[in-house]
Amino acid sequence: MKKFLAGSLCAIIFLAIALAAYLGLGFMDVAADQRPSAREAGFMMASLQASVRRQAPQIQNPLANSDDTLIAGGKLYLNDCVGCHGEPGQPPSEFGATFYPPAPQFPSAGTQFSEAQIFWVAKNGIRLTGMYPQGASYSDSQLWSLAAFIRRARNLPPAVVKSIQPPPSK
Amino acid sequence: MKNFIFGFLATIVLILIVPLIYLRLGAAEVRGDVRAPSWESRLTQFALHASVTRRAQRIQNPLPHSDEQLIAGGKMYLDGCAGCHGRPGRPARNRIAYAPPPEFAHVGTQYAEPELFWIVKHGIRRTGMSAYGSFYSDQQVWQLVEFVRQMNNLPPAVFDAIQPKRP
Repeated sequence: MKKFLAGSLCAIIFLAIALAAYLGLGFMDVAADQRPSAREAGFMMASLQASVRRQAPQIQNPLANSDDTLIAGGKLYLNDCVGCHGEPGQPPSEFGATFYPPAPQFPSAGTQFSEAQIFWVAKNGIRLTGMYPQGASYSDSQLWSLAAFIRRARNLPPAVVKSIQPPPSK
Repeated sequence: MKNFIFGFLATIVLILIVPLIYLRLGAAEVRGDVRAPSWESRLTQFALHASVTRRAQRIQNPLPHSDEQLIAGGKMYLDGCAGCHGRPGRPARNRIAYAPPPEFAHVGTQYAEPELFWIVKHGIRRTGMSAYGSFYSDQQVWQLVEFVRQMNNLPPAVFDAIQPKRP
Protein backbone atom coordinates (compact mmCIF):
# COMPACT_ATOMS: atom_id res chain seq x y z
CA MET A 1 0.00 0.00 0.00
CA LYS A 2 2.85 2.33 0.80
CA LYS A 3 4.33 1.67 -2.63
CA PHE A 4 0.98 2.24 -4.29
CA LEU A 5 0.77 5.66 -2.65
CA ALA A 6 4.34 6.47 -3.59
CA GLY A 7 3.50 5.61 -7.21
CA SER A 8 0.40 7.75 -7.03
CA LEU A 9 2.33 10.71 -5.66
CA CYS A 10 4.98 10.33 -8.38
CA ALA A 11 2.24 10.36 -11.02
CA ILE A 12 0.83 13.62 -9.67
CA ILE A 13 4.27 15.25 -9.64
CA PHE A 14 5.02 13.87 -13.09
CA LEU A 15 1.79 15.24 -14.58
CA ALA A 16 2.28 18.62 -12.92
CA ILE A 17 5.79 18.94 -14.33
CA ALA A 18 4.68 17.74 -17.76
CA LEU A 19 1.85 20.28 -17.80
CA ALA A 20 4.11 23.12 -16.66
CA ALA A 21 6.66 22.24 -19.36
CA TYR A 22 3.98 21.95 -22.05
CA LEU A 23 2.48 25.33 -21.20
CA GLY A 24 5.69 27.14 -20.30
CA LEU A 25 7.53 26.12 -23.46
CA GLY A 26 4.67 27.40 -25.59
CA PHE A 27 3.41 24.12 -27.00
CA MET A 28 -0.24 24.89 -26.32
CA ASP A 29 -1.86 25.54 -29.68
CA VAL A 30 -3.65 28.89 -29.46
CA ALA A 31 -4.42 29.68 -33.11
CA ALA A 32 -8.11 30.24 -33.74
CA ASP A 33 -7.98 29.81 -37.50
CA GLN A 34 -8.51 26.08 -37.40
CA ARG A 35 -11.63 24.10 -36.73
CA PRO A 36 -11.90 22.05 -33.54
CA SER A 37 -11.72 18.32 -34.31
CA ALA A 38 -15.07 16.57 -34.55
CA ARG A 39 -14.29 14.72 -31.33
CA GLU A 40 -13.44 17.90 -29.43
CA ALA A 41 -16.44 19.77 -30.81
CA GLY A 42 -18.80 16.92 -29.97
CA PHE A 43 -17.49 16.52 -26.45
CA MET A 44 -17.46 20.22 -25.64
CA MET A 45 -20.95 20.73 -27.05
CA ALA A 46 -22.33 17.81 -25.04
CA SER A 47 -20.68 19.18 -21.89
CA LEU A 48 -22.01 22.67 -22.53
CA GLN A 49 -25.50 21.32 -23.07
CA ALA A 50 -25.29 19.30 -19.87
CA SER A 51 -24.26 22.42 -17.92
CA VAL A 52 -26.93 24.60 -19.49
CA ARG A 53 -29.61 21.96 -18.81
CA ARG A 54 -28.56 21.97 -15.18
CA GLN A 55 -28.48 25.72 -14.70
CA ALA A 56 -30.91 27.37 -17.11
CA PRO A 57 -34.45 27.98 -15.87
CA GLN A 58 -37.04 25.50 -17.06
CA ILE A 59 -39.80 27.91 -17.80
CA GLN A 60 -41.88 28.97 -20.73
CA ASN A 61 -41.17 32.16 -22.60
CA PRO A 62 -43.27 34.75 -20.75
CA LEU A 63 -43.87 36.68 -23.98
CA ALA A 64 -46.84 35.92 -26.22
CA ASN A 65 -46.12 33.28 -28.84
CA SER A 66 -46.85 35.63 -31.72
CA ASP A 67 -45.40 37.09 -34.87
CA ASP A 68 -44.96 40.37 -33.01
CA THR A 69 -42.58 38.72 -30.56
CA LEU A 70 -40.64 37.15 -33.42
CA ILE A 71 -40.45 40.47 -35.23
CA ALA A 72 -39.21 42.30 -32.14
CA GLY A 73 -36.56 39.60 -31.59
CA GLY A 74 -35.70 39.51 -35.28
CA LYS A 75 -34.95 43.22 -35.37
CA LEU A 76 -32.61 42.90 -32.41
CA TYR A 77 -31.02 39.84 -34.00
CA LEU A 78 -30.40 41.60 -37.31
CA ASN A 79 -28.90 44.52 -35.47
CA ASP A 80 -26.46 42.75 -33.21
CA CYS A 81 -26.20 38.97 -33.70
CA VAL A 82 -26.03 38.44 -37.47
CA GLY A 83 -22.39 39.47 -37.68
CA CYS A 84 -21.35 36.19 -36.08
CA HIS A 85 -24.45 33.96 -36.16
CA GLY A 86 -25.58 34.52 -39.75
CA GLU A 87 -28.54 36.17 -41.43
CA PRO A 88 -31.71 34.31 -42.42
CA GLY A 89 -31.71 33.65 -46.14
CA GLN A 90 -28.01 34.48 -46.53
CA PRO A 91 -24.91 32.26 -46.65
CA PRO A 92 -23.33 31.45 -43.24
CA SER A 93 -21.29 34.23 -41.61
CA GLU A 94 -17.64 34.15 -42.64
CA PHE A 95 -16.75 36.19 -39.58
CA GLY A 96 -18.47 33.73 -37.23
CA ALA A 97 -16.35 30.93 -38.71
CA THR A 98 -13.11 32.63 -37.66
CA PHE A 99 -13.72 32.00 -33.95
CA TYR A 100 -12.55 28.92 -32.12
CA PRO A 101 -15.00 27.36 -31.45
CA PRO A 102 -16.94 28.82 -34.42
CA ALA A 103 -20.20 30.68 -33.78
CA PRO A 104 -23.24 28.47 -34.47
CA GLN A 105 -25.21 29.49 -37.54
CA PHE A 106 -28.80 29.55 -36.32
CA PRO A 107 -30.57 30.28 -39.62
CA SER A 108 -29.02 27.26 -41.33
CA ALA A 109 -28.19 24.89 -38.46
CA GLY A 110 -30.86 25.75 -35.91
CA THR A 111 -30.22 25.10 -32.24
CA GLN A 112 -30.84 22.30 -29.78
CA PHE A 113 -31.44 24.69 -26.89
CA SER A 114 -34.92 25.55 -25.66
CA GLU A 115 -36.06 29.17 -25.53
CA ALA A 116 -35.33 29.39 -21.82
CA GLN A 117 -31.86 27.99 -22.43
CA ILE A 118 -31.20 30.44 -25.28
CA PHE A 119 -32.37 33.24 -22.99
CA TRP A 120 -30.02 32.09 -20.28
CA VAL A 121 -27.02 31.70 -22.62
CA ALA A 122 -27.58 35.10 -24.24
CA LYS A 123 -27.89 36.76 -20.84
CA ASN A 124 -24.88 35.12 -19.19
CA GLY A 125 -22.64 34.34 -22.13
CA ILE A 126 -20.47 31.25 -22.47
CA ARG A 127 -17.03 31.41 -20.97
CA LEU A 128 -14.03 30.52 -23.12
CA THR A 129 -15.90 31.33 -26.32
CA GLY A 130 -16.65 34.50 -28.28
CA MET A 131 -20.15 34.55 -26.76
CA TYR A 132 -19.97 37.53 -24.43
CA PRO A 133 -22.72 38.08 -21.85
CA GLN A 134 -25.48 40.34 -23.14
CA GLY A 135 -27.33 40.84 -19.86
CA ALA A 136 -25.98 44.37 -19.46
CA SER A 137 -27.04 45.41 -22.96
CA TYR A 138 -30.60 44.03 -23.16
CA SER A 139 -33.61 43.83 -20.88
CA ASP A 140 -35.02 40.42 -19.99
CA SER A 141 -37.99 40.99 -22.24
CA GLN A 142 -35.71 41.82 -25.19
CA LEU A 143 -33.71 38.67 -24.52
CA TRP A 144 -36.88 36.57 -24.45
CA SER A 145 -37.94 37.95 -27.83
CA LEU A 146 -34.46 37.16 -29.17
CA ALA A 147 -34.75 33.63 -27.77
CA ALA A 148 -38.09 33.12 -29.50
CA PHE A 149 -36.60 34.33 -32.78
CA ILE A 150 -33.42 32.25 -32.56
CA ARG A 151 -35.37 29.13 -31.64
CA ARG A 152 -37.30 29.49 -34.88
CA ALA A 153 -34.60 31.08 -37.03
CA ARG A 154 -34.54 28.08 -39.36
CA ASN A 155 -38.26 28.05 -39.80
CA LEU A 156 -39.59 31.57 -39.71
CA PRO A 157 -43.07 32.57 -40.87
CA PRO A 158 -42.65 34.42 -44.21
CA ALA A 159 -44.49 37.45 -42.80
CA VAL A 160 -41.85 37.77 -40.08
CA VAL A 161 -38.96 37.49 -42.52
CA LYS A 162 -40.53 40.21 -44.61
CA SER A 163 -41.17 42.68 -41.82
CA ILE A 164 -37.73 42.47 -40.20
CA GLN A 165 -35.90 43.41 -43.39
CA PRO A 166 -34.53 46.93 -43.15
CA PRO A 167 -36.31 49.29 -45.54
CA PRO A 168 -34.51 49.38 -48.92
CA SER A 169 -31.95 52.15 -48.97
CA LYS A 170 -32.42 54.77 -51.63
CA MET B 1 7.64 -2.34 -7.46
CA LYS B 2 4.47 -3.75 -8.95
CA ASN B 3 2.42 -1.74 -6.50
CA PHE B 4 4.37 1.40 -7.32
CA ILE B 5 3.68 1.06 -11.05
CA PHE B 6 0.06 0.23 -10.40
CA GLY B 7 -0.33 3.33 -8.22
CA PHE B 8 1.39 5.48 -10.85
CA LEU B 9 -0.81 4.30 -13.72
CA ALA B 10 -4.04 4.31 -11.74
CA THR B 11 -3.45 7.92 -10.71
CA ILE B 12 -2.70 9.05 -14.25
CA VAL B 13 -5.85 7.41 -15.59
CA LEU B 14 -7.89 8.90 -12.75
CA ILE B 15 -6.56 12.43 -13.28
CA LEU B 16 -7.31 12.25 -16.99
CA ILE B 17 -10.77 10.74 -16.67
CA VAL B 18 -12.22 12.70 -13.76
CA PRO B 19 -12.29 16.05 -15.64
CA LEU B 20 -14.02 14.38 -18.59
CA ILE B 21 -16.72 12.98 -16.32
CA TYR B 22 -17.01 16.31 -14.53
CA LEU B 23 -17.58 18.12 -17.81
CA ARG B 24 -19.89 15.57 -19.32
CA LEU B 25 -22.16 15.58 -16.27
CA GLY B 26 -22.68 19.30 -16.68
CA ALA B 27 -20.98 20.18 -13.41
CA ALA B 28 -18.80 22.85 -15.02
CA GLU B 29 -19.77 26.50 -14.66
CA VAL B 30 -20.22 27.92 -18.17
CA ARG B 31 -21.51 31.44 -17.49
CA GLY B 32 -19.34 34.12 -19.02
CA ASP B 33 -20.48 37.07 -16.89
CA VAL B 34 -17.90 36.71 -14.16
CA ARG B 35 -14.18 37.29 -14.16
CA ALA B 36 -11.88 34.30 -14.21
CA PRO B 37 -10.10 33.72 -10.87
CA SER B 38 -6.73 35.42 -10.87
CA TRP B 39 -4.73 32.17 -10.68
CA GLU B 40 -6.51 31.00 -13.83
CA SER B 41 -5.96 34.24 -15.76
CA ARG B 42 -2.32 34.23 -14.76
CA LEU B 43 -1.82 30.64 -15.83
CA THR B 44 -3.56 31.10 -19.17
CA GLN B 45 -1.81 34.43 -19.87
CA PHE B 46 1.50 32.75 -19.13
CA ALA B 47 0.81 29.81 -21.44
CA LEU B 48 -0.60 32.07 -24.15
CA HIS B 49 2.40 34.36 -24.05
CA ALA B 50 4.79 31.41 -24.26
CA SER B 51 2.89 29.94 -27.18
CA VAL B 52 2.67 33.20 -29.14
CA THR B 53 6.35 33.98 -28.52
CA ARG B 54 7.26 30.58 -29.87
CA ARG B 55 5.14 30.91 -32.99
CA ALA B 56 6.04 34.51 -33.80
CA GLN B 57 9.79 34.27 -33.40
CA ARG B 58 10.65 34.37 -37.11
CA ILE B 59 8.29 37.17 -38.09
CA GLN B 60 9.65 40.62 -38.82
CA ASN B 61 7.85 43.86 -39.48
CA PRO B 62 8.65 44.92 -43.07
CA LEU B 63 6.96 48.32 -42.80
CA PRO B 64 8.75 51.54 -41.94
CA HIS B 65 7.49 53.30 -38.82
CA SER B 66 5.77 56.43 -39.97
CA ASP B 67 2.77 58.59 -39.20
CA GLU B 68 1.10 57.43 -42.41
CA GLN B 69 1.20 53.81 -41.25
CA LEU B 70 -0.14 54.81 -37.85
CA ILE B 71 -3.00 56.75 -39.39
CA ALA B 72 -3.92 53.90 -41.71
CA GLY B 73 -3.76 51.46 -38.78
CA GLY B 74 -5.71 53.79 -36.51
CA LYS B 75 -8.57 54.10 -38.96
CA MET B 76 -8.82 50.34 -39.28
CA TYR B 77 -8.59 49.99 -35.52
CA LEU B 78 -11.46 52.38 -34.87
CA ASP B 79 -13.49 50.60 -37.49
CA GLY B 80 -12.85 46.97 -36.60
CA CYS B 81 -11.25 46.66 -33.17
CA ALA B 82 -12.44 49.52 -30.96
CA GLY B 83 -15.81 47.89 -30.33
CA CYS B 84 -14.17 45.34 -28.05
CA HIS B 85 -10.75 46.85 -27.31
CA GLY B 86 -11.77 50.46 -26.63
CA ARG B 87 -10.97 53.80 -28.22
CA PRO B 88 -7.93 55.87 -27.37
CA GLY B 89 -8.89 58.90 -25.33
CA ARG B 90 -12.05 57.35 -23.90
CA PRO B 91 -12.54 55.94 -20.40
CA ALA B 92 -12.09 52.19 -19.95
CA ARG B 93 -15.37 50.30 -19.86
CA ASN B 94 -14.06 47.36 -17.85
CA ARG B 95 -16.77 45.05 -19.07
CA ILE B 96 -17.22 41.91 -17.06
CA ALA B 97 -16.45 38.90 -19.19
CA TYR B 98 -14.63 35.63 -18.86
CA ALA B 99 -11.39 36.42 -20.66
CA PRO B 100 -12.31 40.10 -21.19
CA PRO B 101 -10.74 41.80 -24.23
CA PRO B 102 -7.79 43.98 -23.14
CA GLU B 103 -8.45 47.73 -23.31
CA PHE B 104 -5.26 48.68 -25.10
CA ALA B 105 -5.66 52.40 -24.56
CA HIS B 106 -5.47 51.80 -20.81
CA VAL B 107 -3.47 48.66 -20.19
CA GLY B 108 -1.23 48.70 -23.27
CA THR B 109 0.17 45.35 -24.30
CA GLN B 110 3.15 43.27 -23.34
CA TYR B 111 3.35 41.73 -26.79
CA ALA B 112 5.92 42.84 -29.34
CA GLU B 113 4.90 43.76 -32.88
CA PRO B 114 5.58 40.35 -34.49
CA GLU B 115 3.56 38.69 -31.71
CA LEU B 116 0.64 41.04 -32.18
CA PHE B 117 0.84 40.38 -35.91
CA TRP B 118 0.54 36.66 -35.29
CA ILE B 119 -2.40 37.11 -32.90
CA VAL B 120 -4.38 39.35 -35.23
CA LYS B 121 -3.83 36.98 -38.14
CA HIS B 122 -4.57 33.74 -36.33
CA GLY B 123 -6.78 34.77 -33.44
CA ILE B 124 -6.75 33.27 -29.97
CA ARG B 125 -8.53 30.03 -29.37
CA ARG B 126 -11.33 29.93 -26.79
CA THR B 127 -11.59 33.70 -26.55
CA GLY B 128 -13.58 36.32 -28.44
CA MET B 129 -10.47 37.07 -30.52
CA SER B 130 -11.23 35.61 -33.93
CA ALA B 131 -8.72 35.17 -36.74
CA TYR B 132 -8.49 38.19 -39.03
CA GLY B 133 -6.05 36.76 -41.56
CA SER B 134 -8.78 36.33 -44.16
CA PHE B 135 -10.10 39.89 -43.79
CA TYR B 136 -6.93 42.00 -43.77
CA SER B 137 -3.82 41.91 -45.94
CA ASP B 138 -0.48 41.39 -44.19
CA GLN B 139 0.30 45.03 -44.75
CA GLN B 140 -2.93 46.12 -43.10
CA VAL B 141 -2.25 43.86 -40.13
CA TRP B 142 1.19 45.45 -39.70
CA GLN B 143 -0.37 48.89 -39.77
CA LEU B 144 -2.86 47.82 -37.13
CA VAL B 145 -0.10 46.36 -35.01
CA GLU B 146 2.02 49.51 -35.11
CA PHE B 147 -1.01 51.49 -34.05
CA VAL B 148 -1.85 49.17 -31.16
CA ARG B 149 1.74 49.28 -29.91
CA GLN B 150 1.78 53.08 -29.91
CA MET B 151 -1.80 53.78 -28.95
CA ASN B 152 -0.88 55.24 -25.59
CA ASN B 153 1.72 57.46 -27.07
CA LEU B 154 0.30 58.76 -30.32
CA PRO B 155 1.68 61.86 -32.01
CA PRO B 156 -1.09 64.50 -31.69
CA ALA B 157 -1.27 64.81 -35.47
CA VAL B 158 -2.07 61.11 -35.77
CA PHE B 159 -4.66 61.28 -33.00
CA ASP B 160 -6.43 64.11 -34.79
CA ALA B 161 -6.18 62.51 -38.20
CA ILE B 162 -7.96 59.30 -37.21
CA GLN B 163 -10.94 60.95 -35.52
CA PRO B 164 -14.08 60.50 -37.60
CA LYS B 165 -14.92 63.63 -39.55
CA ARG B 166 -17.88 65.64 -38.31
CA PRO B 167 -20.32 66.30 -41.14
